[in-house]
Amino acid sequence: MPLRDWTKAIGDWFELRLGLSSTLSEVAAHPVPRSSASWWYVFGSATFVIFIMQIVTGICLATVYTPSAEGAWSSLIYLNYTQPLGWYLRALHGWGSDFMVGLMFVHMAQVYLFGAYKYPRELTWVAGCVLLLCTLGMAFTGQVLRFDQDAYWGLGIGASIVGRFPFVGFKLVHLILGGPIIAAETLSRFFALHVFVIPGILIGFVALHLFLVLKLGINEYPMPGRIVTREHYLQDYERTVTGDGEPFFPFAAQKDMVFAGIIILALLVVAAISGPFGPNGQPDPTIIKTVPRPDFFFLWLFAVFALLPPWSETFLMLVGPPIVIALLFALPFISGTGEKSWRRRPISVVIVILAFTTIGTLTWLGTFSPWSPKMEAWSEAPTPVDYVKGRTPLELQGAILIQSKQCRNCHALGGEGGMRGPALDDVATRLTPDQIVRQIIQGGGNMPAYGKNLSPAEVNAIVAFLNTMHPRSELGARNSVKPEQPISDVDSHHSPAQ
Amino acid sequence: MSARRHWGLALSSSMLALGLSACNSLPGRPARADYPLRPSAVTNYSELYNENCAGCHGVDGKFGAAFALNNPVYLGIVDDKRLTNIVARGVDGTAMPPFAASAGGALTDEQIAIIVGGMRKQWARDGAAEGAPSYATNGPGDPAQGTKVFATFCASCHGADGKGGAAPGSIVNGSFLALTSDQDLRAIVIAGRPDLGHPDWKDYLAGEPMTAQQVSDVVAWLASKRPAMPRGASYAQRN
Ligand code: HEC
Ligand code: HEC
Ligand code: HEC
Repeated sequence: MPLRDWTKAIGDWFELRLGLSSTLSEVAAHPVPRSSASWWYVFGSATFVIFIMQIVTGICLATVYTPSAEGAWSSLIYLNYTQPLGWYLRALHGWGSDFMVGLMFVHMAQVYLFGAYKYPRELTWVAGCVLLLCTLGMAFTGQVLRFDQDAYWGLGIGASIVGRFPFVGFKLVHLILGGPIIAAETLSRFFALHVFVIPGILIGFVALHLFLVLKLGINEYPMPGRIVTREHYLQDYERTVTGDGEPFFPFAAQKDMVFAGIIILALLVVAAISGPFGPNGQPDPTIIKTVPRPDFFFLWLFAVFALLPPWSETFLMLVGPPIVIALLFALPFISGTGEKSWRRRPISVVIVILAFTTIGTLTWLGTFSPWSPKMEAWSEAPTPVDYVKGRTPLELQGAILIQSKQCRNCHALGGEGGMRGPALDDVATRLTPDQIVRQIIQGGGNMPAYGKNLSPAEVNAIVAFLNTMHPRSELGARNSVKPEQPISDVDSHHSPAQ
Repeated sequence: MSARRHWGLALSSSMLALGLSACNSLPGRPARADYPLRPSAVTNYSELYNENCAGCHGVDGKFGAAFALNNPVYLGIVDDKRLTNIVARGVDGTAMPPFAASAGGALTDEQIAIIVGGMRKQWARDGAAEGAPSYATNGPGDPAQGTKVFATFCASCHGADGKGGAAPGSIVNGSFLALTSDQDLRAIVIAGRPDLGHPDWKDYLAGEPMTAQQVSDVVAWLASKRPAMPRGASYAQRN
């Protein structure tokens, strides 16, 4: 018997028992509204395709990864430097995670704007919300598995949020970390979550989500003025599909496939160009000199931390996220019927724009890492040459002290240095020498008080230097009570007997 | 097999080979240089210098707020033992911090040796300090003599009383002197600051290099202007 007949015979044998291909072709051919074959409807399937890729690359990574405190870091180093194309595998998985989170948010915004969560698709939306939480959970647990210094950040901040819960905070932290501190037990715990628990839930809910999409049909392209009611919607949809329907495959699916192809290509290219994330320095508490940074999708959280007034932090951290999540789940029950088109739902449009711009702006702010001092600036970032030339010996000593007292870790000069405090390049236009003295001695506004740690000579030197920090064309700020006192006299004003 | 099939095979296998070899040169591939080293395992001189010293002593040892280390005369008079000691232990009472791990710093002894060796390799020049006064003072200076030395060698730039002239600012300012060690003053007088136009021992007067005694005297004179201040007094306590 020729080969072709053999394969057909085997295929028929299975088909008779499973009946798969008939089911599949039925599913593929099920009619969808003509209008839903839109370029707007491609994000969900693209998210799904990336999810499949994550599973594949994740399994490949799991064959090398060692989930132990000693082994984790070195197994990633092995992938990066020794295993051929191991780095690319890591890059695909890491960037895939960013892609998936991004696509999922776009998909969600589209579903929201097109009213697709309304009757009878409430359950689809709720399953989607679970998928959202699980995907964010995967992103979070995934970066912990890297177990480098950056991973500490994510974990540390997560633990500190949880630890704020009244009464149970400490117990919860214990539960998450597997102990009071980040240690080997923490890693085992997160490995189990990332590889078994969350993916299990994800696969289950993806199945439910897809089943519901097939069962209830793809949302028609909303028309302004076409109102959803519980009484008529099902019949209306039925009529659209039978009258003006098209088979899902290939009619609607071709756009999905083209878009998914573009996304995969983009992922392949981005991973090849930008490479894997870390691992950076090994997690070792004896290394003090670290500059850990959280992963991209948590940057905005850090910005929130840095910008919130301290008294409101606990409240907003504990109450804010649960409210937002509860609102998300409740959405289809709050506005389950009515107008679908975004053209008639201006408030929804505003909400989406607000949400995206807020998170975008916060992320952008987060990239400046204003929350953390730049620990190396004091010995690494040179005083700009322009601030050295033509300065007096005392002013130069002041410039040195700005380094040695680590002011540079919080204050930039010439664009280099930390951003916790304002840049000092033109501080003399804002403050008089007396005000500068007060700020340094007493601190305030997130700046430590240096009064006890500076000698009079040191204060004089720093103030003399900072007092030169104004554009040449502009005079420094003066004391309005004694305007005749020239600024350069600050030295004789404060210095000990000469 | 047909000829066409041969061609196809050849083409696809060469594409595959090309693709695989290209993988090694993709921009995303982690470079050896990105290998995350422990801070204590860094042995590259420029990296060590730039991370630990450039903030105060300037990029390439020039135009920093503190003494310019890119100075062949200075490197000519100071030996490795003293250099190592300064870097490891810092200079007490000044902003020069200790770098040795044993003194609370972040560098290993090996790294300090690399920095000292690197500075010499980059910036020292044979014979630059020939005939220069020694790094360490040989005997106490005489402040009264120093006044005369100052008038002879320094007043042209620093003004008759040292409070300023062609050179900006006062070098007898109490706060400045309180923050600067005698050894640093000596280093300035002997080796100068070529980056900021400060002469060295042989350049003050044409044909009349400073003698070791003159250097000690003028430093003693400057030191005599240093206000007596309790060590460690804080600004808050004083006011
Ligand atoms: C931990 C970070 C931190 C360090 C270290 C620090 N500062 Fe500040 N500094 C700040 C912050 C934050 C502010 C803003 C305070 C406010 O908003 O009132 C500030 C404000 C100032 C101001 C006023 C600036 C203005 O334009 O209003 C001066 C001057 C200043 N710092 C000098 C210093 C000096 C000198 C040192 C070193 C001795 C130093 N700071 C160290 C965080 C820091
Ligand atoms: C926080 C600023 C600061 C940093 C960082 C710093 N220095 Fe210094 N250094 C100083 C000051 C200030 C002096 C002058 C001390 C004095 O008055 O004797 C000095 C003096 C020195 C001297 C002696 C010069 C002389 O006057 O005889 C050497 C050598 C030196 N530093 C080397 C280094 C090296 C090498 C590094 C990096 C490992 C370094 N320094 C980092 C501030 C710094
Ligand atoms: C050609 C002019 C010139 C002469 C002569 C000169 N200086 Fe200077 N001096 C300068 C300049 C310019 C500066 C400021 C730049 C600097 O700090 O090096 C300066 C700065 C100094 C400083 C401060 C260094 C610091 O750490 O900021 C001292 C101390 C000093 N001179 C001592 C002397 C002594 C002592 C003499 C005589 C032996 C002398 N100078 C002769 C030009 C001169």
